Amino acid sequence: MAAWRAWPRIFAHVDMDAFFVSVELLRRPELRGQPVIVATGTDATARGVVMAASYEARRFGVHSALPLAVAHRRCPRAVLLPRNLELYRRASAQVMEVLRRFSDRIEVAGLDEAYLDLSGSPTPKARARQLKRDVRAATGLICSVGLAPNKLLAKIASDLEKPDGLCLLEPDGMLEAVGDRPATLIPGVGERTAERLAGLGIRTVADLAAAEDPALQRALGPRLGHALRERARGHDERPVVTGRERKSESRETTFQADVTDAATLRGTLDELVDSVCRGLAAGARSGRTVTLKIRLRPFRTHTRSKTIDEPTRDPERVRAIARELLAAFELDAPVRLLGVGVSSLAADAQRLGSAPVQGALAIEA
Amino acid sequence: MEVGLTVALTNVAVDSDGTILLPGRLVADITRSLPDGEVSVAVRPEQGDVELTAGGACFHLRTLPVEDFPRFPELGESPVTLPAAPLAETIDRVARAASRDEVRPILTGVLFQAEGAKLTMVATDSYRLSVKHTELESTLAETIEANVPARALRELARIIAQQGPDEVSLSLPRNQAVFRAGPVVLFSRLIEGQFPSWRQLIPESFEHEVRLPRDELLEVARRIGQLAQRNAPLRFGFAEGQLTIAAETPEVGDAAEAVPAPYSGEPLEIAFNPQFLVEGLESIETDELVIKLSSPLRPGLLEPVGREDFSYLVMPIRLNV
Repeated sequence: MAAWRAWPRIFAHVDMDAFFVSVELLRRPELRGQPVIVATGTDATARGVVMAASYEARRFGVHSALPLAVAHRRCPRAVLLPRNLELYRRASAQVMEVLRRFSDRIEVAGLDEAYLDLSGSPTPKARARQLKRDVRAATGLICSVGLAPNKLLAKIASDLEKPDGLCLLEPDGMLEAVGDRPATLIPGVGERTAERLAGLGIRTVADLAAAEDPALQRALGPRLGHALRERARGHDERPVVTGRERKSESRETTFQADVTDAATLRGTLDELVDSVCRGLAAGARSGRTVTLKIRLRPFRTHTRSKTIDEPTRDPERVRAIARELLAAFELDAPVRLLGVGVSSLAADAQRLGSAPVQGALAIEA
Repeated sequence: MEVGLTVALTNVAVDSDGTILLPGRLVADITRSLPDGEVSVAVRPEQGDVELTAGGACFHLRTLPVEDFPRFPELGESPVTLPAAPLAETIDRVARAASRDEVRPILTGVLFQAEGAKLTMVATDSYRLSVKHTELESTLAETIEANVPARALRELARIIAQQGPDEVSLSLPRNQAVFRAGPVVLFSRLIEGQFPSWRQLIPESFEHEVRLPRDELLEVARRIGQLAQRNAPLRFGFAEGQLTIAAETPEVGDAAEAVPAPYSGEPLEIAFNPQFLVEGLESIETDELVIKLSSPLRPGLLEPVGREDFSYLVMPIRLNV
């Protein structure tokens, strides 16, 4: 009898394989089989980072978040494509539409990944195979699917047989699969937590799984330590969160060359504000907090925010606040990166359609 | 320290004094699995472990350094004495309205406010608010205000149910709550910060007050609530002399049931989260209850009829139809 029959719940994690690159290849089929890199810019000598790499490019050690200059050194003959987020958003929406046929409990975790609750399905593995076929038929894109009794294991499983994988993982198989990977693989173990764990000699997932409660609790507090160890043992209670709400809308840009000119900064700021406000309008949302993000040479990042009383997505209003924040900022070095975000979002009441909304008491906290 | 517990065991023969620290989960699991009868615990200093024997089973458990165990606070003076059974029952009724979301820690507690001979316990997760007043047997010398984690109180309710003490004493030494129930002492840290001023959340007046039989309403709400799945609301339609409770889950089905209700005026439809509503109804003990309402967007209040010691305020789900 298949192991999953004993699972009280069944989750699938669907992860698109080399998503941005694969979407680009749909319209550039002649590039198939070649190392292809999607990056924030196409000038390999300028600043920019790799957003995605084809499996051919990965063989040269190119991966996402790598500085473009390094990627170019590692694989000079790779074809550089500029990112086209709008294109990927459209492709993502098509994929998610297909996924919704398989479950109405679906959590979109990013443009290229989603969790599905398949609990109650008598044949989850067959469903997953069908899902992969349907995604490919509808979009021409390939995905990997992890099936597991919880989200954490499902996510790990989807990565195990990439690309075009389909993998089942049980808590018992967790350590064999990823025991020797860094503890940061566990959601909730960020940089700082990893540092504290390292202080206890805990570096890998297996170390964390074997850790003693008292030591963990002293280092991380009573609940977190226990919770993280449980995760390292493959236990995770997080449900699928459907209809995840956006918490903020933001845009940022890294300058090709560092900028000191105030007019250039203001111009860029205005463009970012317009783009943010368009994004808010598309999602029928407004926000109360405007945040300015500035990175100065060499690598100092600062943020400044201001919160207003009434939510807005009026470009004039947001621009005025963003410019005010910029003007008040002491620029003592050239600017590498500029960003604008709007948060404390509220949905437009009239655009909520038929979705009922739980009211809340007027508690200030 | 979040929560701490000390339990004095009576039926024990101690040969020599001492203190050891053992891994809790392991000891609990082992103890549960032991056969009936005596258990002996002996320290073996040379091996640095403890020998635990019961029946034919023998365990050697490595001890942990005693100094690693957190220090328990001193017991406070002049404790308040609370009748145990009503306290446990109040915890059951109030604590369920406390939030389980650690993002707003203040709301994960139950507020204890006591003045004179009256204790008020309040909890809210911002969607509903539960308030219970209890008369104390004696008048307090000073006022009390403490936000006790609901998790600790649920533990306390379990202890009261197991131990069956008549009374529970409560004292509040520095940022701690200490409950003593028979041989068990439960410590909990208090939640810091200002608890919401809950009184102003409860409207002073309502447009409608409808009296209904509690058991029948609860039964109908549970029955019809089965078709309020996946966050679908439970709809209350008030019309002249009648209340219709209805629910619908897309692609599953719908259900409705009408009950006679002393309602008059313009029809009113208001919707609630079925779980919040059912928990509110369950918390009321009188045969009859009153639902107080003003509009589909304003909170509803559930109260017992004939006593004024309990209120359950619940925010509606806004319908966009």
